[in-house]
Amino acid sequence: MIIYDLIFYLFAALTIVSAFFVVTLRNIVYSAFFLLFTFLGVTGLYVLLAADFIAIVQLVVYVGGILILLLFGVMLTNRITNVQVKSGTFQILPAVIGVGIFTGILVATMTNTKWRVLESEIPVTTVYNIGTLLLQDYVVVFELLGILLLVALIGAASMARR
Amino acid sequence: MQYFSEAIKSLWTVLVGMKVTFKHLFVPSVTIQYPDIKLALPERERNRLYVNMDDCIGCDQCARACPVNCITIETVKGLPDEDLGKTSSGKRKALWVTQFDIDFAKCCYCQLCVFPCPTECIYMTDVYEFSEYERSDLNFSFVTLTPEEITQKKENFAKLESEKARLKAEQAAQKAETAAKVSAEKNVADQSGKKEK
Amino acid sequence: MIYDYLYKLTGSEIWAGVIQSFFPLFLFILPFALFAVWLERKVSAHMQDRLGPMRVGYHGALQTIADILKLLQKEDIVATENDKPLFNLAPVIVFAGSYAVFAAIPFSGAFIGSNIDLGLFFIIAVSGLVVAGILMAGWASNNKYSLLGAMRSAAQIISYEIPTIIVVLTIVMITGTLSLYKLSELQSGYFWNWMIFGGPGPGLHKFLFIPFMFIGFIILYISTLAEVNRTPFDIPEAESELVAGYHTEYSGMKFAMFFLAEYANMFAVSAIVAAVFFGGYQSPFGYLGNAFNLPWLIPIEQFFWFTAKGLFFVFVQMWLRWTLPRLRVDQLMAVCWKYLIPISFVNLIIVGLISVL
Repeated sequence: MIIYDLIFYLFAALTIVSAFFVVTLRNIVYSAFFLLFTFLGVTGLYVLLAADFIAIVQLVVYVGGILILLLFGVMLTNRITNVQVKSGTFQILPAVIGVGIFTGILVATMTNTKWRVLESEIPVTTVYNIGTLLLQDYVVVFELLGILLLVALIGAASMARR
Repeated sequence: MQYFSEAIKSLWTVLVGMKVTFKHLFVPSVTIQYPDIKLALPERERNRLYVNMDDCIGCDQCARACPVNCITIETVKGLPDEDLGKTSSGKRKALWVTQFDIDFAKCCYCQLCVFPCPTECIYMTDVYEFSEYERSDLNFSFVTLTPEEITQKKENFAKLESEKARLKAEQAAQKAETAAKVSAEKNVADQSGKKEK
Repeated sequence: MIYDYLYKLTGSEIWAGVIQSFFPLFLFILPFALFAVWLERKVSAHMQDRLGPMRVGYHGALQTIADILKLLQKEDIVATENDKPLFNLAPVIVFAGSYAVFAAIPFSGAFIGSNIDLGLFFIIAVSGLVVAGILMAGWASNNKYSLLGAMRSAAQIISYEIPTIIVVLTIVMITGTLSLYKLSELQSGYFWNWMIFGGPGPGLHKFLFIPFMFIGFIILYISTLAEVNRTPFDIPEAESELVAGYHTEYSGMKFAMFFLAEYANMFAVSAIVAAVFFGGYQSPFGYLGNAFNLPWLIPIEQFFWFTAKGLFFVFVQMWLRWTLPRLRVDQLMAVCWKYLIPISFVNLIIVGLISVL
């Protein structure tokens, strides 16, 4: 379907362009709001991958949670425009070499690997499968993660009280 | 336990408040649909003035009573043989009222002009909706005479005046003549008297 | 299904989808907003023993149209110190967020914008977009009242999302589906099959569920009321403190978009409450279409029942608005974190235990 390809490129362009602006813009509020479009673009990509649950989790966690917290933080800062980025550029030559090698490896893997294309049926609902995986097959890991997050939360609260 | 009783109590009070507002939903409204329905005005209300020109004798007492000088009256005497009509109380009119303007932009609705009127021809009406776009439109004229009539009356009066002045002058002249004659006769008599002495 | 009909008509699933996606806006949200604004003014007036708008049309029925004509002609004021790109974008994002909710709302058995399996979860997720738009509006207005309103709004919406999600989770745990369509179909039949009366089917569970379902309904209603920033939770746009909150600086059509988004949100949350607890589009007494053997009548009846339920809860929102005074910020947070969240958690656990029984 040509139209789905078009939508895919639209979302991909949205993600990449807004991610570029997030990094380069001097106004950090603009950066934060461009992050919103990055997250939306990623959500769209997830939807096109038929991963509806992950797409919505992306929306809840990143747009509804993290982005809002980020905006709160940004709006409470003193200097919003013309923020000087502290890290300068140094060690250019090793960095170029490292990035070049990494890119080469990535491109080589991408072109040389024989990707296994599965003619799989797109599941009508992914929630059921995810649920069984999380709460039956990997229940111990899931619970451990929950405890870890709880510990982090209590730690943050106790540090904030001090 | 206090926790639950507080929660239940707050919910209950919300319901009580909702009951009150729901009852008020069916209480007949107190709004008066103003231009369609008008409240009866109080007995001694003071609104726009009206002048009944049939009764007005042009005595200028209202204009003098006015604290803000919003009444302008100009009168012209009638001719002696002219019938100006009578007021409703049977008094004979003597003056043509050629200008009777009340500027309601100035008027303070104090009703002080109403009391001195000898014929009770200026009084308060119940008209209170008379807003205008131009301030000059609030200057109401109560004169019943047409402009032609006014000029005619003025001319009549001027003629009368000039006639009177002429008559007066004639009389004065006559008087002077007779006085002169008398004095002359007197003089003659005096002289003759002196002669007799 | 209307989608199938459109697909047959246009011969392309893209066009069918595009046309269908405009349906809720033009056939529902705009007429609803017209009606709801009028209703709000009438309800408030009659609760205060006044009459409300009476001049335009019968009992002021066309008042909203006159107001819209006025808003259209208004000058679009943008202050010099505003952040113009964000200022212009914010109303669009807020409206997009509240319109996206309508994609998953089941208006009737024949029309549901997008019959996705994660309907409830999707609705909760996209309302997060509204928060971003509100923060954007507050910041771009360059106005202390706007920024304070936006901050309050964001804090409030994020806090009250938690009890909403927990109550929705309670229902999902019993029914085993997140799809609003399936949830509505599950509550078909008569009104005793609604979730508020313990859900479908006979049995002991049903009667044990009822008190907890009532608690869940009350919590869901309070927290959704807070999420749409209406009185008594209207501290983000408290007139007496913050002028108009985050839309203080907006005028003309941009203000109208905020206004439309607010009314769309009002219906959306009422629709969620109706769909989750009150049988969605299902009739409480059976269908006339079944009685007279007219199958085409059933979707229309379903649409009627759904709008009736939604409108009833919108009316209750207005009713509460003219009954209760505004909460303070600390009281607002206390209600959420000290009362709604613990009670909904305990409710979730108890309902879980009952369903395991």
